[in-house]
Amino acid sequence: MDNVCEEKVFNAIFKSNSKTIFNYIYYKYGNEEKAYDAVQEAFVKLWENCAKVAPEKAKAFVYKVANNLYLNVLKAEKVRLKYAEKAPKNSPESPEFLMEEKEFKDKLDRALNSLPENQRTVFLLNRIDGKKYAEIAEMEGVSVKAIEKRMHLALKTLRAQIDGI
Amino acid sequence: MQENYLAKWLNNELSEEELAAFERSEEYASYQKIVRASDALEAPSFDMEKALADFQASQRNQETKVIKMRPSQYLMRIAAAVTVLFIATYFYIASLNETFSTEYAQRTEIVLPDASEVLLNAGSKLSYSERNWDSERNLSLEGEAFFKVAKGKKFTVTTDLGTISVLGTQFNVESRKGFFEVTCYEGLVSVTFQGKEQKLPSGTSFLVVNDRIVPTEAPLSSEPSWVNNESSFKSIPLTYVLSEFQRQYNVTVETKNVDLTQLFTGTFSNTNINLALQSISTPSQLSYSLEKNKVLFYAENAP
Repeated sequence: MDNVCEEKVFNAIFKSNSKTIFNYIYYKYGNEEKAYDAVQEAFVKLWENCAKVAPEKAKAFVYKVANNLYLNVLKAEKVRLKYAEKAPKNSPESPEFLMEEKEFKDKLDRALNSLPENQRTVFLLNRIDGKKYAEIAEMEGVSVKAIEKRMHLALKTLRAQIDGI
Repeated sequence: MQENYLAKWLNNELSEEELAAFERSEEYASYQKIVRASDALEAPSFDMEKALADFQASQRNQETKVIKMRPSQYLMRIAAAVTVLFIATYFYIASLNETFSTEYAQRTEIVLPDASEVLLNAGSKLSYSERNWDSERNLSLEGEAFFKVAKGKKFTVTTDLGTISVLGTQFNVESRKGFFEVTCYEGLVSVTFQGKEQKLPSGTSFLVVNDRIVPTEAPLSSEPSWVNNESSFKSIPLTYVLSEFQRQYNVTVETKNVDLTQLFTGTFSNTNINLALQSISTPSQLSYSLEKNKVLFYAENAP
């Protein structure tokens, strides 16, 4: 039987989940430092409880810890997400097009920042991290349908914001 | 269009008809653009190896913190040492001798734990261990004291010059420099002097002057005269008489042309200095002068 207390098992869980936890908390609260701390805190808690948490439950456990960590603390903060810059491609696009693209991206950023936290988190986990709705549902502890609803609303809200409707 | 069709669309779950209808809608281009732009986004970089290293380091720190708890163990050790020290000190102090002493011109009465009574004459010191009192009644004495010993286990008085052991009796001990006198007033007293033990029945005395045993007569009273504020002497060198006088009145005695070895027999008052001076000077054919705390004895025929 695999045991979370075994370093090998534990490290594997760490490697496969830490980045998602980081992103998850970052999308929620827009604070890299807090997201990093959440990863640490989640795994400290997992390590402390390694004897009590079965390996297949470890993932849900760390998300829950990370999620609960700032539940009441950071809710009110206004989010201003920053994204890593993708390496600029030597695109043949015209400067006008690039300008337009830049403009659109700024609009999208603003729209994402003003999204309700749960919609933004779901949307970005899906778009950036490629998480399936079922996975996100597990992380958030809600039904897949609820995630689909958030996804739908997120996209709808984004478009309404960007198109100025 | 089904519920949450945008979510379904992103998940490629729309039916062909639905997809076709959606693609025809005017907002489709916008949605596509949003999704394409979103997919280009990247989360801030997360260095997983560093995070794991940080985690492991913090766990090690946790472990070091456990080691750091040892200062508290260290403190516990100090606390234990201090406690031991306190307890040891307590027992040490408890085992220390109870001490009573009298200054010159002072007298005190002591009741021992077994209700034995001790009258301590001027310029004397008595000490005993209260802790060991029940197993052995041991006292040490410098100076002079009158003991009324309650019946019980062996009662021992140790002095520089000799040791006195009794079971239950009344006796007087005087142990001064060069002068050692034990008088038994009741019962039987055992005196050890220079390794020799001597039994002293009631009404007898044992006297040592300058390391020599001097035969002496039995006292007639039932307690030493000093108890009644008189100092009595029977053939005692004058020097000891004057020493006693100094102790009783807390004065300095000086002599001029006086033979201090002459024997003195008599009594002087411990309460009236003028009377006492006369009591000493007249039989010794001496004159004296008293100035403040100084007494000068001088031979009468001297200038």
